[in-house]
Amino acid sequence: MTATQPLLQIRGLRTHFSTESGVAKAVDGLDLDVRPGEVLGLVGESGSGKSVTALSILRLIPDPPGHIAAGEIWFQGRDLLTLSWRDIRRIRGKEISMIFQEPMTSLNPVFTIGRQVMEMILTHEPATSRDQARSRSIQILTEVGIPDPATRMDQYPHELSGGMRQRVMIAIALVLNPSLLIADEPTTALDVTIQAQILDLMLELKARRAGGAILLITHNLAVVAETCDRVAVMYGGKIQEVAPVRDLYRNPLHPYTRGLLASLPRVDGERATRLTTIPGSVPDIHNMPTGCKFSTRCAERFEPCDSIEPPLVEVAPDHLVRCHLHEAPPGTPAHQPASAHDV
Amino acid sequence: MSSPDTILDVQDLNVRFPVFGGIIPRKTSEVHAVDGVSLTLGRGETIGLVGESGCGKTTVGRAIVNILRPMNYRVDVTGRVLYHRNGQVVDLASQGQASMRRYRADLQMVFQDPYSSLNPRMTVGAMIEEPLTIHTSQSKAERRDRVRWLLDKVGLSPSHASRFPHEFSGGQRQRVGIARALATNPKIVIADEPVSALDVSVQAQVVNLMQDIQQEFGLSYIFISHDLSVVRHVSDRIFVMYLGNIVEAGPADEIYRRPAHPYSQMLLAAVPRPGPDARRTRRVRLREEPEPSGVAHPVVDDLPSPLNKPSGCAFRTRCPIARPDCADSAPPLVERDGRQVACPYTT
Repeated sequence: MTATQPLLQIRGLRTHFSTESGVAKAVDGLDLDVRPGEVLGLVGESGSGKSVTALSILRLIPDPPGHIAAGEIWFQGRDLLTLSWRDIRRIRGKEISMIFQEPMTSLNPVFTIGRQVMEMILTHEPATSRDQARSRSIQILTEVGIPDPATRMDQYPHELSGGMRQRVMIAIALVLNPSLLIADEPTTALDVTIQAQILDLMLELKARRAGGAILLITHNLAVVAETCDRVAVMYGGKIQEVAPVRDLYRNPLHPYTRGLLASLPRVDGERATRLTTIPGSVPDIHNMPTGCKFSTRCAERFEPCDSIEPPLVEVAPDHLVRCHLHEAPPGTPAHQPASAHDV
Repeated sequence: MSSPDTILDVQDLNVRFPVFGGIIPRKTSEVHAVDGVSLTLGRGETIGLVGESGCGKTTVGRAIVNILRPMNYRVDVTGRVLYHRNGQVVDLASQGQASMRRYRADLQMVFQDPYSSLNPRMTVGAMIEEPLTIHTSQSKAERRDRVRWLLDKVGLSPSHASRFPHEFSGGQRQRVGIARALATNPKIVIADEPVSALDVSVQAQVVNLMQDIQQEFGLSYIFISHDLSVVRHVSDRIFVMYLGNIVEAGPADEIYRRPAHPYSQMLLAAVPRPGPDARRTRRVRLREEPEPSGVAHPVVDDLPSPLNKPSGCAFRTRCPIARPDCADSAPPLVERDGRQVACPYTT
């Protein structure tokens, strides 16, 4: 292994849900690396499995009905999926923290902002005095741009606007300097001007703290283009394409990625007379195609696509795609070993 | 600015919602949700109404179709909504609910959420048929034929008529909503965030469908959305709203190319752009926010509460070029560079 040892390695993750109509394979064989210090975008439409992936990393999948059927998630030399509940709780918030889409519902309405920020410190670092915890909380609220943080400490979530609440969530997530921040649609519920500020804030805070990585989950390809170093495109519970952000937008290889990018209306440049579309809609999770998951909507489908699922192969440096149209250059080994730790 | 091709002419529309408080509820204040909005809509034209949540864009749409009073009888609506119909001009705002019924068939709405705007206990066919039963004298067989024809028009199959909403995906449900809006042969369709709840790959299908239908039926659209990219794609002219006021109005291409009002500039600058070289540079800078220094910089990032609208120009609390006299009086919309702008100081 080289110097770019990933911070987080997901191998063969399968997260399934038992439902009345059968087993829903929300995530079904997912391989993904998050490298130290990078912002990795995980994009996909609703139902593609991106949020389930995030919840699986922190073992937050409600069980039942869900369970992690297979896979490994390596973080700092340990497989998160084999840790005891006590150990995983030590990692949540301290090593890996998460912010969610709805700043309305992720804060507890009956506790003050201050208590919720301090709780994070006091839970993970019980030796801290309350005074120290308070001053650290005020400091992090200042850092995330909350005006008059000492007063805000004693206020309740309903007294803050949506943008301010999301800043508080970021403060809670970052107060212990985690090495990985998972942000699941952090700006989707916000107006576009507030979205811009929250994204700026996340990048600024990241720049100030060396080494921290962000896994940004979103359906918005424009947000990804502006904030991420690499992008992973998900469809049907699997990664379909991974590439550095420039490569992905300049040279998208998977027909699904190409379709998504072509279907975006533009706010600048020439105005298209007609939008390009991807025909059909996302297949029913209980009736996923056996071959390539995108085969039911793909204009470039050919003989093997319906029956054989293509592997994820590295077709150019750091550019991986799961499509029969793109084969690995001869002589390259299949991309990933079953377990990343069988070095 | 009424021309022969104008179908709708909204003049000085004001909407005030009372706010109640106290143990024995009494009116304590009011929200001036729409504050003197005027706009025109041409035949076959699409106008876009954009702005952040709470700016009053949805309320404008609802006031035009005169459904605010049935929703909240204490609401105070003033102004005129002149509908040009067969050479006659009718003020929709002055119609009572009974006489309004005559015009309802001509003005239809498409809503944002295809999940909650369809009745889960009615078949899709029955829902599309309902407006025909109310507004036309067609026989049952004629109505059934029309439902099948409408389903085909919106890209669904006639066999879908007997199914229930839960059997459809989000995109298909929005097609049902469009079919229902089209049932009575409307002249004007007010679409309030029609594609915001849809996935990217489906959003483009529905936008294209709406444009095809507009061409085929000669419809006029009022397209209300916070998504500036979609609005640009569909609109001929756009109206930018901020806290109940129109701050800039004009041809979409002009405004997107060179926004004049500081709020339009801020809004457009904030829209993320997809592309290989889109790497984020800090573009949205607000008042009271110094240059990034690496440490704390408090921001005033919020739309002020409509209950506490700033005096004078409502945008002045977030405006990067605000001056002291902006607090004195609200700047009027003034014609300049082929558009209307409500700011005397922008360059």
